[in-house]
Amino acid sequence: MADTTSKPLRVIYGDVTLGVQSARTQYIFNYTRHGLESLVIDGKEWLYRTPLPTFWRATTDNDRGNGFSQKSVQWLGADMFIQDAGATVKIDGQPIDLPIAPSNNQYSDHEYAAGVEVTINFTTVTIPTTAVQVTYTIAGDGTLTVHVHYTGNANLPDLPVFGFRLIMPTKAVRYEYAGLSGETYPDRMAGGVPGTYTVQGLPVTPYLVPQDCGVHMATKWVKVTRGTTQDNTNLHPGEFGLQISSVDAPFAFSCLPYTAEELENATHIEELPPARRTVLSILGAVRGVGGIDSWGADVAKQYHIPASRDIDFSFTVAPA
Amino acid sequence: MESDIRWLDDPQTFRVGQLPAHSDHRFYQHYHEIDAHDSSLSQSLNGQWHFHYAPNPQARLKDFWAADFDTSGFDTIDVPGHIELAGYAKLHYINTMYPWEGHHFRRPAHTVGQDTSGAGMFSTAEDNPVGQYVTDFTLAPEFANKAVTIQFAGVEQAMYLWLNGHFLGYAEDSFTPSEFDLTPYLQAGSNRLAVEVFKRSTAAYLEDQDFFRFFGIFRDVTLLAKPAAHIGDLHIQPTLADDLQSGVVRLDLQFSPVTPDATVRAIIRDDEGQTLLDTTQPVAASQTITSDTLVHVHLWDHRHPYLYQLYLEVRDGQGQLLEIVPYQFGFRKIEINAERVIRLNGQRLIINGVNRHEWDDERGRAITEADMFHDMHTMKTNHINAVRTCHYPDQIPWYYLCDENGIYMMAETNLESHGTWQKMGAVEPSYNVPGSVPEWRDVVLDRAKTNYEVFKNHTAILFWSLGNESYAGDNIAAMNHYFKTVDPTRLVHYEGVVHDRAYEDRISDVESRMYAHPDDIVKYLSDHPKKPFLLCEYMHDMGNSLGGMQAYMDLIDRFPQYTGGFIWDFIDQAIAITDPVTGQHVLRYGGDFDDRPADYEFSGDGLLFADRTPKPALQEVRCYYGRYDK
Repeated sequence: MADTTSKPLRVIYGDVTLGVQSARTQYIFNYTRHGLESLVIDGKEWLYRTPLPTFWRATTDNDRGNGFSQKSVQWLGADMFIQDAGATVKIDGQPIDLPIAPSNNQYSDHEYAAGVEVTINFTTVTIPTTAVQVTYTIAGDGTLTVHVHYTGNANLPDLPVFGFRLIMPTKAVRYEYAGLSGETYPDRMAGGVPGTYTVQGLPVTPYLVPQDCGVHMATKWVKVTRGTTQDNTNLHPGEFGLQISSVDAPFAFSCLPYTAEELENATHIEELPPARRTVLSILGAVRGVGGIDSWGADVAKQYHIPASRDIDFSFTVAPA
Repeated sequence: MESDIRWLDDPQTFRVGQLPAHSDHRFYQHYHEIDAHDSSLSQSLNGQWHFHYAPNPQARLKDFWAADFDTSGFDTIDVPGHIELAGYAKLHYINTMYPWEGHHFRRPAHTVGQDTSGAGMFSTAEDNPVGQYVTDFTLAPEFANKAVTIQFAGVEQAMYLWLNGHFLGYAEDSFTPSEFDLTPYLQAGSNRLAVEVFKRSTAAYLEDQDFFRFFGIFRDVTLLAKPAAHIGDLHIQPTLADDLQSGVVRLDLQFSPVTPDATVRAIIRDDEGQTLLDTTQPVAASQTITSDTLVHVHLWDHRHPYLYQLYLEVRDGQGQLLEIVPYQFGFRKIEINAERVIRLNGQRLIINGVNRHEWDDERGRAITEADMFHDMHTMKTNHINAVRTCHYPDQIPWYYLCDENGIYMMAETNLESHGTWQKMGAVEPSYNVPGSVPEWRDVVLDRAKTNYEVFKNHTAILFWSLGNESYAGDNIAAMNHYFKTVDPTRLVHYEGVVHDRAYEDRISDVESRMYAHPDDIVKYLSDHPKKPFLLCEYMHDMGNSLGGMQAYMDLIDRFPQYTGGFIWDFIDQAIAITDPVTGQHVLRYGGDFDDRPADYEFSGDGLLFADRTPKPALQEVRCYYGRYDK
């Protein structure tokens, strides 16, 4: 008989999904949809689609000028299409057989755990391929920790960015963060003043041609506040929030209403579609923007993201 | 004198009937007019003028300038303004290529090709639109019985002028004042002014700046009343002794007109109102006033832009005040020492600068004084200490603002012939002008002379710049020689000589480069540099850029011969429109007006967006420049 009193997480061993529930949060991992399909806090859904690793930044003018996008174009494909190489599940630290039908017939509607870990293995659609793992760990208090690992491969081109992209169903009202003032990049952050900042709406920096923008380096936490949902029974629930916090090291992020691909396809800001989602990208590695010129000079070497090096980063997700 | 449209084709005809260039001093009839900058000896002609547009010279109205011409069929247009932004001619942004690329084959007169005369190249061109302006004015009462001139502060790119049916003259050099004497043909009551402006002329070869290609009367038009004795030119020469403690001021005055028995009183006060000089002398056509040695003078620099106040009062034989000329000047000394270090007032000079085009997203280059104040505020609050007037002289008030705010100026001459020597990114000077082509010498020397004569009294100017990206040759060397001859107190800058080192001893006091990699600068400065080094353009802030600035700032600490540089650039050049699809107020750039060939978003390199909101990169500049602003 399972211990139903001391373990705080309820686990639902579904045929296609794994449900994990705590007092305020409910998670659903979908084995056919590459990971976390649903993240509900206090009854409000935070995910529009399953979050995935991200590898592309919308070409900046300097990227265009020095041919970086051509050199690294494989990462655009990797960003848009990724191969799911299978999931693994641990309960209370112990690996279990993937609990899909019929092996999940062993479970009941009263299953509990002190901790749940789901790892999704990805293979990039690059030549050669490389492996990326996303590990979701849910602690007893319901807090989610995400760890993202990129496996270095010297035969791949420099990365434009490496991160994890969460797309939220509706456009945020604002976000707050503890980090540096303004838009910063690894080679342009000396002027960033440490502090806590609030950004209303989800502004896209209005460069003449839309391009990667809105990155905030060296962040301790970011809190996203929304006021709307897609739930027809509760479209305007009042403001509610979600907070991403650093685990070991500060992270970078951007919080925009568009994906890199949407930005990439616009030649003017007014061509971007109406802003309706929140695209929160938590970034483990950011390439510098450069600035020597805009027709060939490369970003200084120390601000590249060499593909050969492993990249690891972690963050927690919790109610704000 | 008759006008001749063939002047458009002739590089040796560039000023006809104009008054000689002179200093930009303002003059007033009464002291109380000075603070308001509202001289009763000046009358603005800005406003709505009658206007007729012709797509080329063949289609223009040939006698529109006649005193009795019926303009009832004309439109109206705002002066100042660009004809393209008024909707008549197509907006076009192109960088180094000439604006006729892909439409017409042209080579500069007297260079290469089957017919080097240039005859008809612009005067009979299909692609040379014409703006025909007419306005009627009545002189203000204060103008009675005085000589009257008209000053066009900027007309792009070639203009002919008539008053009451009489031809007065012709001007090129779009970015400097052109002044004509109206006196002989003025009449009582209404006077008719006619101005014919052509978009293209031989000046086009010299004005290939990286910007929207506009034409029209885009700066102020002003009538000036000259009293019976009038200071036509003023040259203030404050000179510091070697100890930088004491100084002497020499004033060279040219009177035009001049009347017998007139006197001039020169007063110099410090900023506490203490009088340092007060002398009255009889007026002569040309005269010099020299102060006694002034002890313990205050020096002018970025941190302490200390200015002395000069007043010149001109009176007639009865003691009646004719005019007052106020001017502020500072004491400062710029030099290159034996170690090839540029020093200002004995201290190493560090340039934390920007290149600044004049730009407004609604008005193009027809910017307002409010724009200038905004730009100056932005510079001051972001520790920017220097500006290069890329790539032409700016509106006059900007120079005064730089004096007052301690912004070091690189005052650039209106010259860029980029498309004559660089093609598809490669140096290919086969038809470069001005080069060493004799027929293109006088025109560029005139541009240098005008730049010098107009702005010579501005303390803020530390460098004269010969122009931008025009390659090198005897004619640019002659410009350099001109500046060194007339003004040994300032340095001369020119970058393009790096493409032809044979001229490096004759052109430029500084080793100037653009967009040099930090490693290349280290290489130059580590190997017995011949000249001090500066970057006339660096940190190309196109889109999301300005990364890696630290590598340049490190050079300041490493090499005393590294003078710093001017970021490219201050403000994006883009045009505000209402998007017909979304109704949003948006910014458009090259190619958005069906203009081809175009260079698209390449003019979006500012620290500010075109609407003057700061780009995120500005905080980085504030941080790095602030470290040296102490």
